[in-house]
Amino acid sequence: MRIAADRERCVGSAACEALAPELFCVGDDGVVRVLRPEPGRAEEDVVRDTVDQCPTGALSLTD
Amino acid sequence: MTVEATPPVDLDAVDLSDRDWWAGPPERKYATFAALRRERPFAFFDEPVMPMIPVGPGYWAVTRYADVEAISSQPPVFCSGRGAVSIADMPADLHEFYGSLISMDDPRHAKIRRIVSKTFSPRMLEQTLDSVHAVVDDVLARARRTAQERDGAIDVVADIAAPIPLRVICDMMGVPEESRAAVLEQSNVILSGGDPDLVEDADDPVSAFLTAGVELAGLMERLAAERLERPRDDLTTALVATEVDGERLTHQEIASFFILLLVAGNETTRTAISQGVLTLHEHPDQRARWRADPGLDRTAVEEIVRWVSPVTWMRRTATRDGEVGGHRFAAGDKFLLFYAAANRDPAVFRDPEDLDLAREPNPHVGFGSKGPHFCLGAHLARRELAVTFRALFDQLPDLQVTGEPDRLRSSFVNGLKRLPARLTGAG
Repeated sequence: MRIAADRERCVGSAACEALAPELFCVGDDGVVRVLRPEPGRAEEDVVRDTVDQCPTGALSLTD
Repeated sequence: MTVEATPPVDLDAVDLSDRDWWAGPPERKYATFAALRRERPFAFFDEPVMPMIPVGPGYWAVTRYADVEAISSQPPVFCSGRGAVSIADMPADLHEFYGSLISMDDPRHAKIRRIVSKTFSPRMLEQTLDSVHAVVDDVLARARRTAQERDGAIDVVADIAAPIPLRVICDMMGVPEESRAAVLEQSNVILSGGDPDLVEDADDPVSAFLTAGVELAGLMERLAAERLERPRDDLTTALVATEVDGERLTHQEIASFFILLLVAGNETTRTAISQGVLTLHEHPDQRARWRADPGLDRTAVEEIVRWVSPVTWMRRTATRDGEVGGHRFAAGDKFLLFYAAANRDPAVFRDPEDLDLAREPNPHVGFGSKGPHFCLGAHLARRELAVTFRALFDQLPDLQVTGEPDRLRSSFVNGLKRLPARLTGAG
């Protein structure tokens, strides 16, 4: 599983950071950074949940 | 899954435009939402009559989660620029003050949101987030002193829920102490929904809104000009200085944004705190569970936001003809997205009428649904709520709600005007 972030769609709501602070961070530029694009197996549920809840659909998953 | 509570509701007798209906018992409200979701997911209502504002064509009340999400996530089809926070189209002179980010569409929205989110990122807010603890400790210490002077009696709204977000926002923006009472008063007027208790001249709420906007804008334009001269370590300074693509916010835009921030950042968090205290009072088992387990803070805060839904709805307006959720609509149709109804939709939430502080996942729309208008301050609000409730458990464990809440007569904010309580250890 690999997380991709579309920095154009991101509005910096930091919904992802609230749900999974160990994986996502909204930086000083107000746009998301994926801290670990390849999460561990144990994190897959929280990652899916977080990607689903991104308000602008800026996060996506590839396998 | 339990069956949804279904006391009989006569939908033909329901008028969501009747302000007094909103101050009625919450059970009636949620039973009505349930009936609307089931039977009339796009229910049509005439607009409330506001003095001096021409009455518009009416609106569709959207109550299903899926429909709220579908509309919210298609901003080109369902725009915010014709009004997001009022049912009536706003007169031009009000739009000047209240036409900030929340009532804007792309490309303007994207540009301003980028400027603002640069100054509003979790990183930039770190200092504010750290200061939330100190603010909450101080407010609760004052509440105890107030209680000692009044035989134990306090008002959860005035003594706890209102001062916490007000101080956090004013600290963040660098609003001087002497202006803060005025800020609270004006933001009350703006979000009163014309509640006669909060608007002095109830026959003329438009003038009252306008006056409040002029006063707040004046305060903020002065502050912005000051910070441009003498930069300080606050959000105002960051906002006057931040550029995106070589463009800065004008002082007028900053003033409008501040009004949005003051109103959105105060009333919503205040409502989540006051209604949250009431909710925990009504669910003593859940209160005991949360109090005993700080590990629940994260999910509990989300559940309080779902349960309370501080902002009941936002408006969108169709930019063309089309269909959504099986419903045909025409260009110009208004939709109110009822977050408070979507947040109890059994199609998404298991046992939606049960408060479950460990609920997970909890994809509530209390901060807005999908789309670019998702709450800018969600991370600040989450922190304020987590810190406040933990501090309430630790520092005011003797807090007891003692009377009926006085509910705001507004469809827009699920607010409380007063919530009588006692600190039993202070009497």
